[in-house]
Amino acid sequence: MANIVCSNVDKQYGAVNVIRDFNLDVADHEFIVFLGPSGCGKSTLLRMIAGLEDISGGKVMIGGKTVNDLPPRDRGVAMVFQNYALYPHMTIYDNIAFGLKRMKVPKPEIDQRIRAVAATLGLDPYLQRKPTELSGGQQQRVAIARAMIKTPRVFLFDEPLSNLDAKLRNHMRVEIARLHQKLKTTTIYVTHDQLEAMTLADRIVLMKGGAIEQVGTPAEIYDRPRTLFVAGFIGTPNMNFIDVSAEKVEDGWALRSAGVDFRVSSKRFALAPGQKVVLGFRPADLQKQEPSAARTNVLAGMADLVEFHGNDALVTFVFAGCEIGALVKASGCPKPGDPVSFAVDEDSIHLFDQATGLSLLKM
Amino acid sequence: MKQKNSLPAVFLTPAMMILAVLAFVPTVYAIYISLQNRELSRPVGDFVGIANYIDLFSDRRFINAIGVSLTWEAVTVGMTLIVAVGLGILLFECAAPRMRNILALLFLMPVILPRVSAAFVWKFAFHPLYGIATYPYKAITGQPLDLLSNPATALATVALVDVWQWGLFFSVIVLKLLETLPPQPFEAARLDHARTWEIYTHIAIPMLKAPLISLAFVKMIESLRAFDLIYVMTRGGPGITTETLDMYAFSQGFIESGRISYASSMAVLMMIATSIAFTFIWKRVQ
Repeated sequence: MANIVCSNVDKQYGAVNVIRDFNLDVADHEFIVFLGPSGCGKSTLLRMIAGLEDISGGKVMIGGKTVNDLPPRDRGVAMVFQNYALYPHMTIYDNIAFGLKRMKVPKPEIDQRIRAVAATLGLDPYLQRKPTELSGGQQQRVAIARAMIKTPRVFLFDEPLSNLDAKLRNHMRVEIARLHQKLKTTTIYVTHDQLEAMTLADRIVLMKGGAIEQVGTPAEIYDRPRTLFVAGFIGTPNMNFIDVSAEKVEDGWALRSAGVDFRVSSKRFALAPGQKVVLGFRPADLQKQEPSAARTNVLAGMADLVEFHGNDALVTFVFAGCEIGALVKASGCPKPGDPVSFAVDEDSIHLFDQATGLSLLKM
Repeated sequence: MKQKNSLPAVFLTPAMMILAVLAFVPTVYAIYISLQNRELSRPVGDFVGIANYIDLFSDRRFINAIGVSLTWEAVTVGMTLIVAVGLGILLFECAAPRMRNILALLFLMPVILPRVSAAFVWKFAFHPLYGIATYPYKAITGQPLDLLSNPATALATVALVDVWQWGLFFSVIVLKLLETLPPQPFEAARLDHARTWEIYTHIAIPMLKAPLISLAFVKMIESLRAFDLIYVMTRGGPGITTETLDMYAFSQGFIESGRISYASSMAVLMMIATSIAFTFIWKRVQ
């Protein structure tokens, strides 16, 4: 087991800078998820920690030791790949045993450890088969077994569930969570799926364009997104955004644009008069109300699309020229064409500066 | 559903007819005269049944030729594959993409050269007095080095030319095969404590097993037809140390005694033996 420290890590491909000045401390036993859109550098960073990519600048330390120049095998890491990367010509048994054989572990001990790992992951019936004879989920379980058996100090997962179908993905996600609960190995997990990130992570590192946007627990990232990008990336359905400008009024601020007049108190937000801001609120935070009710922070419009999600339904309507989504109970939800009216609590409002994209929430 | 279609037959017939004329006529004729006692000096011959075949097995030079042919097969196929895999991996591991392409082009050149030309070039290179390949030895020791006239080195020297042509060519194929392999198993192996050589012996070569066997097969068939190379470089000599079966059949039929029936019986036996051997190996491989 070990902690991981990345300090000022850079990665360049020729003149292109794919990772810029990346700093992160991962504590021992922690489950960290690198989350971000495709091409944000999260996989590259993982591969740099694994030793599969050179580190152009900065330092990566595992367990207090700088590993920049160590080959992958000497870093004490094990990795699970998106496409499993099993050795196609070997049986499952040999696939799992390969690393231990290279480490010159005695045969009886290898056998005993494989039996144990296979039992944990339910691979017993498949040990003598070839990878191609297994389903995707089983293959990924073999890849996890192959990583686990070396008792690494660090587990690295590179989008391990992306090739699986939705149901299997949920199942494997739970298995990975359970495995981490049991083994407590320091883990870095790369994904572009926010559900995986939210459910698995102790802390999420949200990346964009090779740099960190926000680091925090899933709750912190969801409740207090630090930038407009984070707010838009996290949460399904997506957060609603309306461009407004701030004006000082007696007991706080008025957020106004054509057809919009929201009020917020000055306690929560640090605003300047005339500042251009983006008003954000999540679809789930919209409260349905009677059109006649006199409340502040009201959005009204005509429902034009109703998507059924099961318990809930997403009602889309146009308000002040913006498309707004509202998550309502599926029972008794409006039909397309019905007039709808929602109110937003001040507590669920997010404000971001239009120019910098940074949150204006007071810390 | 099942429609009778004569189009395939129409297209196949001309090709098949040419093939029948070119392949079957000589084969059948060879079998026909192998049962006679024809010689080049006489226009006619009598049927002698399988007498030629029986004679072959008491012919010491024939037995020697079988040995030489088998050695030739083993040495050229084995060395070609070793050189191809070794060089292919070296290129894949050490050369940058641009360098790889330049070297691949260079490595393709020997095989493009007609083998007779290659044989003449190398024969001259191995010339004991003027050859460039033997020059360093002569410069150091003051003694001429005649590799092609030494019974201990003649076959190996000719094999060297064959490997120079085919080993380099196959190394380009091996390089291209390595480039087509998915990189992830290699990366997984690097994380699995495998050293570079272990990645190749345990992962890359086993993953390329099927194409490598095909290459071996191609080379086995190709090596059988090394007549031109041996003919130019040694003519089977010194003595009979490099006399392969086809070389011996040729000298029996055309050079020494003109015993065309005897030579044909040898050719027929070779055809049968190689057909059986290759069918057997092919079945085993599959």
